[in-house]
Amino acid sequence: MEYVIQQTLNALSFGAEYALLALGLAIVFSIMGLVNFAHGEIIAVGGYTMVAFASLAIGNPVIVMAGAIIAAMLASLTLERVAFRPVRKADPTTGLLTAFGVSIVLQNIFLMFVSPRPIAVTSLYFLDWPIEIAGIRLASLQVFETLTTIVVIVALMLFLRRTVLGLAVRAASLDFEMVRLTGIKANRVFAMAFLISGLLAGLACIFIMARRGSVDPHLGFDPVLKAFVACVVGGFGSLPGAVLGGFLLGAVEVAMLVMLPQSLGGMTDAFVFMIVALILIWRPDGILSPAVEKGDKL
Amino acid sequence: MIRLSASQRSGLVGAALLAAVLVAVGVATLYFGSRYQIRLVYSAYVNLIVVLGLQVFMGNARITNLSHSAFMGIGAYAAALCVTPENIKKISLPAAPWGLADFSLDPVLSAAIAIAITAVLAFLLGLFIVRLTSIGATIVTLAVLVIVHAVFLYRTDIFKGNQAFFGIPQVFDLAWVVGIAILAVIVCRLFRESRWGIQLRASADDEVGAAAMGVEIYKLRLIAWVLGAVILAVAGICYAYFLGTISARPFYFNHVFLTLAMLILGGMRTVTGAVLGTFLISFGLEGVRYLETGPVLLGIELPEALGLSGIALGAVIVLTMAFRPTGIMGNREIETLFARKTF
Repeated sequence: MEYVIQQTLNALSFGAEYALLALGLAIVFSIMGLVNFAHGEIIAVGGYTMVAFASLAIGNPVIVMAGAIIAAMLASLTLERVAFRPVRKADPTTGLLTAFGVSIVLQNIFLMFVSPRPIAVTSLYFLDWPIEIAGIRLASLQVFETLTTIVVIVALMLFLRRTVLGLAVRAASLDFEMVRLTGIKANRVFAMAFLISGLLAGLACIFIMARRGSVDPHLGFDPVLKAFVACVVGGFGSLPGAVLGGFLLGAVEVAMLVMLPQSLGGMTDAFVFMIVALILIWRPDGILSPAVEKGDKL
Repeated sequence: MIRLSASQRSGLVGAALLAAVLVAVGVATLYFGSRYQIRLVYSAYVNLIVVLGLQVFMGNARITNLSHSAFMGIGAYAAALCVTPENIKKISLPAAPWGLADFSLDPVLSAAIAIAITAVLAFLLGLFIVRLTSIGATIVTLAVLVIVHAVFLYRTDIFKGNQAFFGIPQVFDLAWVVGIAILAVIVCRLFRESRWGIQLRASADDEVGAAAMGVEIYKLRLIAWVLGAVILAVAGICYAYFLGTISARPFYFNHVFLTLAMLILGGMRTVTGAVLGTFLISFGLEGVRYLETGPVLLGIELPEALGLSGIALGAVIVLTMAFRPTGIMGNREIETLFARKTF
């Protein structure tokens, strides 16, 4: 029984991280149909900001964390201005390929100007200590991560439902032209979406860095690949879908780690992706997305 | 006597023009190139076959495919496993199951088996993939890439994972790969102009409209998918039959993006675009790699700049998407550049 609870909690914290990342992808996708593969590089920007603070001998964790989040938000805004504005009206495939291109450019900029090797960042290790409650062993980081994700979901919900700009963001995912007709500036809506996306990337960056303790140019690629999958499974562009997909992926991954025999250890990813593919074959647009009409809309 | 339509006749003219270019580049390299340059041009031709295999599905059905390098890998490994002599396999694959180390076949038979295996796998996967729409289909192809790579890494007793699978006899030289590339160009071009190709392109422009006109979209996508996989398998075989060693690493994300960038730059809708993009990026990147090593140019010693080629590749994708989403060629094939505007 304890074992089951233990693994359930593990799945929850895995899922929380994926949900955090998937939300960052989904909020951008819901508005402009862009699959932002450069999200992972925004996480890496946060990581390198921590390196910069460490080299300036600033160890105050609040400053380090705030700095990483702000850097990620600024990076996200900059990408929107520089790279994604020209493809704003293009189809999802064009956007996806652009984002791949941006991601390759940023990875290689880190490689060229910083270092191709991992750089250690020790300033966040204090976040991670073992806790034991009623025989269940946990890492404090898992608790923080799950709590943060819950807070983020609630805050995002309040923002999207209670503020004008939030309403505009939600409305923009349905009918962008209509939003513009009501006098809301398109650029502000896009900037807001990317700002939120950057904030979520910054938060995810803190947890990833606290766990890994080092940053390298490819830091964000694998987590974002998983988050991308979570988004698609949940229903691309749907925010509840992103959360659901994130937790589902966490559960599947922990289940695979637990159930697969040791000898198949290297195949975890293969099985996770296989299950994802099967879900997509069952529901091609993801679990929570409404059916799309393919014909012309009048 | 088969009667060809006007677009098929002009397709043959276009294929002949592209073949002339391919022969010219090949002959020039054979006569003037150093060993290193011949290797370079050979790999450019292999990538050209990959890009052509990608174009058949991506260009006609317009669904982004990310699994092409996996199919190339399947073809390469299958051919390598068949053709490598027993005595070498006994050393390199001592634990190979199912008697894989106890036989060896001649290159032609090995290639045929490799193509058949890839085609069957592609057919089975394709049954599911062709029913999905844009992003969903792309994700499933991504899943295929990850799964195939994981299998290559996991079954080290068959594929040797990231270590080199060595001892493949060198069967092909540059002349062979030029010939095969020309064949691939002709096949791709004829498919594009065939009844199937035209219907498939129509379905990419307007899925509902094409279906209403009686186009069997799923069937056509499946045909293009399997044909593409066969061409990719051929590319893998060419790769293995020249280099003599293969490993899992070249069949993963880096290669996927490299070949995708080639197709996007040239323009995925046309065969000419595939050829142009491959040559531009293959030879352009070689120039950038030279700059990466920190050469002395005009008396100025440039710094070493690792990662420059990656930046260039990413920038090509971003700029193409921003300024010319349909690539350099757009919807134009090579022969329309020469034809007088009579229509």
